Amino acid sequence: MSGRRIILPWVGLGILAAALFLFQVYIAWPNGRDPVSAHLQSVILEYAVLPRAAVAILAGAALGLAGLLLQRVLRNALAEPSTLGISAGAQLAMAVATLYAPMLMAWSVSLVAFAGGIAAVAIVLALTWRRGLEPVSVVLAGMMIALTANAASAALILANGDYLFSLFIWGGGSLVQQSWDPTIVIASRLAVGLAAALLLLRPLAILGLDDASARSLGVALHASRLAIVALAVWIATTVAAEVGVVGFVGLAAPALAALSGARTLGQRIVAAPLIGAILLWATDGLVQLTAGVSGERLPTGAATALLGGPLLLWILPRLRMMEWPMLARTIVVSHRAARPAVLLSLAVIGLVFALIAALLAGNGPDGWFLANGDLLADLAHWRLPRILVAAASGTMLAAAGVMIQRLTGNPLASPEILGVGAGSGAGLAVVLLVSASAGLAWQIGGAMAGALGALLIILTIAARGRFGPERLLLGGVATGAVASAIVTAVIAMGTSQSYVLLAWLTGSTSQADFGQAAIAFAFMAPLVGASLFFSRWLDILPLGTEAARSLGIPLAAARLSVIMTTALLTAIAALFVGPLSFIGLIAPHLARLLGLGRARHHLIGAMMIGATLMVVSDWLARMVAFPYQLPVGLTASMIGGPYLIYLLSKGVAARG
Amino acid sequence: MTGRTPASSFTRRTFLSAIAAAISTRAAVASQAPRVAVIDWALLETCLALGIVPLAASELVQYRKLVVEPEAPATVNDLGLRGTPNFEMLRLVKPDLILISQFYSYQRAQLERVAPVLDLPVHQAGTPPYALLESSTLKLGEALGHRTGAQAYVETTADALARARSSLASGRTRPVFVISLGDSRHFRAFGGDSMFGDVLAQLGLQNAWTDTTSYSAAAPVGIEALARAPEAGIVIVEPAPPETARTLPRNAVWNALPAVIENRVSTIAPVNHFGGLPSARRFARLLQTAVGNWPAA
Repeated sequence: MSGRRIILPWVGLGILAAALFLFQVYIAWPNGRDPVSAHLQSVILEYAVLPRAAVAILAGAALGLAGLLLQRVLRNALAEPSTLGISAGAQLAMAVATLYAPMLMAWSVSLVAFAGGIAAVAIVLALTWRRGLEPVSVVLAGMMIALTANAASAALILANGDYLFSLFIWGGGSLVQQSWDPTIVIASRLAVGLAAALLLLRPLAILGLDDASARSLGVALHASRLAIVALAVWIATTVAAEVGVVGFVGLAAPALAALSGARTLGQRIVAAPLIGAILLWATDGLVQLTAGVSGERLPTGAATALLGGPLLLWILPRLRMMEWPMLARTIVVSHRAARPAVLLSLAVIGLVFALIAALLAGNGPDGWFLANGDLLADLAHWRLPRILVAAASGTMLAAAGVMIQRLTGNPLASPEILGVGAGSGAGLAVVLLVSASAGLAWQIGGAMAGALGALLIILTIAARGRFGPERLLLGGVATGAVASAIVTAVIAMGTSQSYVLLAWLTGSTSQADFGQAAIAFAFMAPLVGASLFFSRWLDILPLGTEAARSLGIPLAAARLSVIMTTALLTAIAALFVGPLSFIGLIAPHLARLLGLGRARHHLIGAMMIGATLMVVSDWLARMVAFPYQLPVGLTASMIGGPYLIYLLSKGVAARG
Repeated sequence: MTGRTPASSFTRRTFLSAIAAAISTRAAVASQAPRVAVIDWALLETCLALGIVPLAASELVQYRKLVVEPEAPATVNDLGLRGTPNFEMLRLVKPDLILISQFYSYQRAQLERVAPVLDLPVHQAGTPPYALLESSTLKLGEALGHRTGAQAYVETTADALARARSSLASGRTRPVFVISLGDSRHFRAFGGDSMFGDVLAQLGLQNAWTDTTSYSAAAPVGIEALARAPEAGIVIVEPAPPETARTLPRNAVWNALPAVIENRVSTIAPVNHFGGLPSARRFARLLQTAVGNWPAA
């Protein structure tokens, strides 16, 4: 209720959006000489131009409301359809349904999208339930689910191009309209959502408090929370089904409402949808202004993602992220093996066995065989580089995983969430956008530049918190979301470069050669060496800031060195096996389960396990659907997924 | 292809005849079909149309759904996705020659470890592809010892198109949009530089889409763009997304199009839009039937 309410810029932006809209009406105003074209022009004005503005306003409002509801009940300023995996889950469901159950799509796209979105959220909430839905973990889990679903969708698109053409358009989020149907559908959902939000004003306000207060005030905590989450998912997936993915409005609108001075929940329920509506309407006006004869250069959803990315990075440091009691550090060493050397030797033997098996065993037109002699020499030319690249990537991801889990004390942390992997994808996307025929050297250069750019942003954000874990994770997730949005936007342009990016998203080693293997090892050696050099810091960092200080660790320098090394390891690995693998998440866990507690042993064990898992994943990628090849990122996720569920059943909080 | 120097065209020719010689010797000895593997679908179609059954070809599961004809016999080994052909499988079937188009040039070094590679251009953005397809068909025939067969196929295809042209000329000729549906609200247009657009031109039909084609999934266009040529008819090439069957009839702009009101919309079975001469023939045949069903102007 203070005087710091900022309304004028929104009025200005609203006037701009309205002016852009009136310009479109002016262009579309019927002026045809003959009755046929005059009639067509009036139909276009009435059923294309007008409903498009209506959809922009309503969809923006609906996303703003959905974001506000999610952020409120999860007490998480980063919660929104894309960071929770809702959009990615909906996309995967639509891809699967289009291919395998077209009747479902013909019946109701909204329902398919809702099923996918709610499934994604259910997994995210289940994964983080025992950590009390703590914000950082929720967003981490959301990121992992989103990346997995995106990789699976990309693999389906690559294998079924012409049948999944619609997913390109959908991923871009086009607001093009030709009837009032979507307007009516979105309006009805928005009305239900607003009514429910106002009815639930009191429980919503209480859910914004901590659990104990909420319970003492007599709110059926979990039931109301889940009901509101389901409502928000319903609103968000309706928008997604009607117009496609529109990024960041759900995140930015509530945050901007808060920053503009909306203090109470009631004010925010009005302000967030309004701001969302203005943002989307204005963006869509700009998109239409720059459209050419053969359609829009950039669909509106991709444009909001590109405009919203920098906005998010600006908002992030200004938000109070931690409205949630942070849990104590949870890395607990279950047991420590008496003779780690024996375990490490076994891990090395396992890796060697996997390498040999992957090199020799294969499928062919006449069934399974073990290659030898000339055939082996020929096959080795393709198998060996893939195996070496996989092993090196697995090693690097595992080392990165150990470091980030020890640094942040969060067992759900994984190198992917640093955002540098996605950053390298964004760099690759930009290089391909500038020149479709960019060679491998340029692609690698672009990817490295993207990764470094992402790293700089993360470090800038993390530096405000002396490189503490929370800022680091949030900065990483935000940067990753921005970079993913850039990749999605370039893919949505649907050119031949899209396929290069899709292949990168799925994580394919199929074009690996000895040159790539050499590059991978050349980067791996010094970085892995550095990580071993940090092992004393890595032993002490998980004990917490106080302990680290009292033991004389130069905290900021130690954290910075570890972050830099982790980021480089991740960026190089992402170049070869794509942005997602789960290997960096599960290899450190498995090593710890074996009883490798000291950082040095933990690192070496995890690296051996990571390399083995990645080699096995690559072998599976070559063999599961022979002669069709799956992307290695996807098979690695298929191995990692069940482990995540195991983690879930054991309770993440109890394990480190 | 533009920019090719006479010297390199000479090497191309010597290369072709060397391959033809090697293959025909082998064929004479073993009285076998040439052992060829094909990555590009346009070239696969062409091989099959010339009666050459390849040893292996890529992505046959999708080929049978999207290209349909000429039919790929069950004896052809599948090499997996075109973008990521299975080099191991290729090595195991050991072809004598591998056919690719410029889309797959980036795989060349890997493929050459198995067998010599023949790179025949099939489509170039901005250029009508029919002439290119004819010359690639002839080169393919030459390389595989089917020169006369290839020549005959080029001629019969030209004849078939000419016959279709004269039978269409007896009716009325309206401009035609050839589109594939992206979703309920968007379509992909085929311009004069696409195979569809070039076949339209060969048939003497006017392409209602005057812009160039955006390939692959590209820059999808809103349905309202079809109103730019109210007199045109519309040919939809399958596959179409499943939801369009329900949503398109509810699309107000679509329903207001004269083509829709006056029944000048036809849906045809899938045709490979990056296809070779066999697909061009298939498209011409399906198009002729589709357009023939429209009411007279």
